[in-house]
Amino acid sequence: MPEFLQYPFMIRALVAGGFISILLGWLGTFIIIRKMSFIGDGIAHASLAGIAIALLLGWATIPTAILWSILIASFIYFLEKKTKISGDMAIAIMFTTGMAIGVILLHFYQGYQPELISYLFGNILTINSFDLFSIIIAAIIILSCLLIFYRRLLFTTLDPTGAYLSGLNPWVYDLVLYIITAVTIILSIKLVGIILVSALLVTPSALGKIFASSFKNFTFITIIFSLIIVISGLIISYYLDLPSGATIILTGTTLFGLSYLGKYLFSK
Amino acid sequence: MKTEPIIEVNNLSYSFDDFEVLKNVSFVVNEGDIIAIIGPNGSGKSTLLKNIIGFYTPKQGEVIIAGKSPKLVRKQIGYVPQKFTSDRDIPITVYEFMALERCHDDSHSKKNINHALREVGLKNIENKQLGQLSGGQFQRVMIARALLHEKKILIFDEPSSGIDIVGEQTIYDLITKINKEKKTTCIIVSHELNVVNKYAKWVVCLNKKMICFGAPETVITPKNLKELYGIGAGLYHSH
Repeated sequence: MPEFLQYPFMIRALVAGGFISILLGWLGTFIIIRKMSFIGDGIAHASLAGIAIALLLGWATIPTAILWSILIASFIYFLEKKTKISGDMAIAIMFTTGMAIGVILLHFYQGYQPELISYLFGNILTINSFDLFSIIIAAIIILSCLLIFYRRLLFTTLDPTGAYLSGLNPWVYDLVLYIITAVTIILSIKLVGIILVSALLVTPSALGKIFASSFKNFTFITIIFSLIIVISGLIISYYLDLPSGATIILTGTTLFGLSYLGKYLFSK
Repeated sequence: MKTEPIIEVNNLSYSFDDFEVLKNVSFVVNEGDIIAIIGPNGSGKSTLLKNIIGFYTPKQGEVIIAGKSPKLVRKQIGYVPQKFTSDRDIPITVYEFMALERCHDDSHSKKNINHALREVGLKNIENKQLGQLSGGQFQRVMIARALLHEKKILIFDEPSSGIDIVGEQTIYDLITKINKEKKTTCIIVSHELNVVNKYAKWVVCLNKKMICFGAPETVITPKNLKELYGIGAGLYHSH
């Protein structure tokens, strides 16, 4: 048995990472088509306020941040659809407001604040059994939603007018996508951190696009790459004693660079 | 043969906040007709289409399709956009795209999709990526999708935009063929007056309000075109 499997924190990180990478990979295929990668950054940063509320009140951070992120995602959706504010502007407003509220609230938090850095850059040591349980339950719910609504989400993503004319309500599926993206981002924060999480929504899909010939295998390849990036990133970070979040992101970037270069050289 | 009205637009007005885009537009489309909507850019053509399909709710007036609100009968309407709005490099095949709209029957099966594609003159294309198609091929895929689901009304938003003359001819011949064989009512938004003159039975001239409505030979006149497009547009009169 490899050495890293002897440590419970590594097993928790690998299990959480496995679930999260499947979710991020799958959702990333929708995010990249909708050109919504900024939403990952926006919700992640805005979630700092939710984390701060949880820390101040002594509540469980992941469930509190999930509820906060659903609120933020719904508000971004409302601003985008019901006002003249564009999606980018709505996200930017919530991004900065959430961060600012988080910083102010944490100012009132008494004592040492070691967890803040963990949330900003990720720290697998902070994933406890309750977090792992929350991640698995939430991941199963989101994966079920994706399985049930997959075709409808894809239809409303690729051809909103066609989807509307087929009898669907594209606005409902837009909101569903915003909410499950927000929840997935919160689940990923302890693994890779607020600052880095959006990269995991984009990099695996960018890799998938290099090799896919249909949407079905685009989704499959993206999920596989997402798993490879997260699991190998965690193992590399263990052996090289590096921060896990940053190592995962750089593993993805390296894989993307090599794949792009390989495809370029072989297609010549 | 007497035909029934399938689309009725009654005193339709639409505005974005205080900016009025459509004002008191009224016309009727009979079942099985080809109707063209012409007008300069920003004249409200796309807004009119979105009101017809029920995507927008009129601020005043109403649209009635087959005696009902457009939202209730929208499954009977097919929409063929100018181009694929998503990235062209999204790896989705023609088959996957056509199978997105699921039916109560097995019309999304590969056999039926191939049949619909053959009807629009496309062969061995189902595994090709949507982004690899030419503009004309994409238009035909969209028409094939509408055929697959037996839409009663087809709306074409500038169907020959960015397509060469041969492609344009193919698309319009196909629209005519579908209209004749399946009695599909077609609405075409177009800037090409020669095409409108050749294929449409009725023409709506739109510039926020309706400038004229009638048969092409009576509507496409230098006077109307001057009012619609401004000075010099009369040069394009097809006669």
